[in-house]
Parts: sequence; C-alpha cells; structure tokens
Amino acid sequence: MASKPLFIMLASGEHEKIQLAAMIASVAAVSDRPVQVFVTMNAILAFRRGVTPQERYHGGYFHEQFVTKNVPDAMELFEQGRMLGEMQMWACSLVLDLNHWDAQADLVEGLFDGTAGLAKFLSDAEDGELITL
Amino acid sequence: MAERQTVDARGAFCPGPLMELIAALKLAAIGEEVEILSSDKGSVADIPAWVAKVGHSFVGSTEHDGYWSVVVKKAK
Repeated sequence: MASKPLFIMLASGEHEKIQLAAMIASVAAVSDRPVQVFVTMNAILAFRRGVTPQERYHGGYFHEQFVTKNVPDAMELFEQGRMLGEMQMWACSLVLDLNHWDAQADLVEGLFDGTAGLAKFLSDAEDGELITL
Repeated sequence: MAERQTVDARGAFCPGPLMELIAALKLAAIGEEVEILSSDKGSVADIPAWVAKVGHSFVGSTEHDGYWSVVVKKAK
C-alpha cells in the first residue's frame, strides 16, 4: 500500500526546527513516502542564498552542537531528500513578496520547485498528513 | 558470494549514515551488498527499520570497538 503523502509547513526560523524538518522530510522521502515542504515566515530567512551556516542558523539548545559537530547540514538533507526520493519544496509567495525576494535568485540554488500560496498547500495537504514546525 | 562495497560513515550523526547508505544503494546493482560503518548508535537501529520499509534485505550488523558494521543487500 502506498504511504500517505507527508506535508511539512516550516514557519520557525529556529535551527532545531529547521533541522528537524529536514530530517523528517529527507528520511520520509527516501522511505518511499511523497513529501511536500512549504517554507514560510521566519524560516525563509534560513534559506537565503550565499550565507554561511553561522549566518543561516540560529536558536535552540542544540544549535551550537549542530554547527560544530558532524551533524548533516539541513540544506544538504533537503537536497538529498529531493535527489533520492519524491520531494518537492515550495517557498511562500507572501514572505518573498514582502522581502522583495525571488525564489530562483535569492534562495538556496536548486532547492525549491517554485512559489506557492497557503491555500494551495493546505488544499493539497488534505490528501495526506500535515506537520507544522 | 555477493559483491560488497564499504561506506565509512563513522563520525557522522543521524541521519548521515542512513543517507550515505541510500546513496550507495542507488548506485549498486541488484544483489550487491553495501556495508556501512557507523559510530552513531541511532542509525544502527534505524537502518534495519528503513530496509524493512522499502524492501531491501538486512544481512546483519556487527559491533566493533566504537562503531558498527551494518550490511544491506540491494533487493530491487
């Protein structure tokens, strides 16, 4: 039986939550479970192109350990999930508009399938399981 | 005896060893075995569960001094 699709709404800019979203998304995708990730609010700031991990990630008790120990980088985990499984990522059109950012020019290269609105994402999520972080 | 390749993921934390195993399995031929070396205990427990979920074969795991050897056979 095919697995229920997993929908992850990532709104927090806290490193721990971004890391958890990346872990859940990548492991589910490589476990034959379709995954869609919607990145909105503070979380979008962590996906800015051309910044160092120190600039990208903030917050959470384990933040320092994530960046100083050999823990897989969240952006790399999202990339691996896309490469090895069935996974799509969408950037929230509202926060991009507010920041005057373009998904293809200002966000981490090759990670996003495009922009989406909340209504479309929620509508699609009715067919699966939704996790909000 | 099946062909076997070894991937050394010692020092990497979860889910690094699992992701390295999956990347190696993608490139392996059906029937080939991949041995992953991991010092991350959680990954050693996770890998058999992942193998059962996706339909490969778990060959076994062996504990060494400070790390584990986990062997998986590509079944599809």
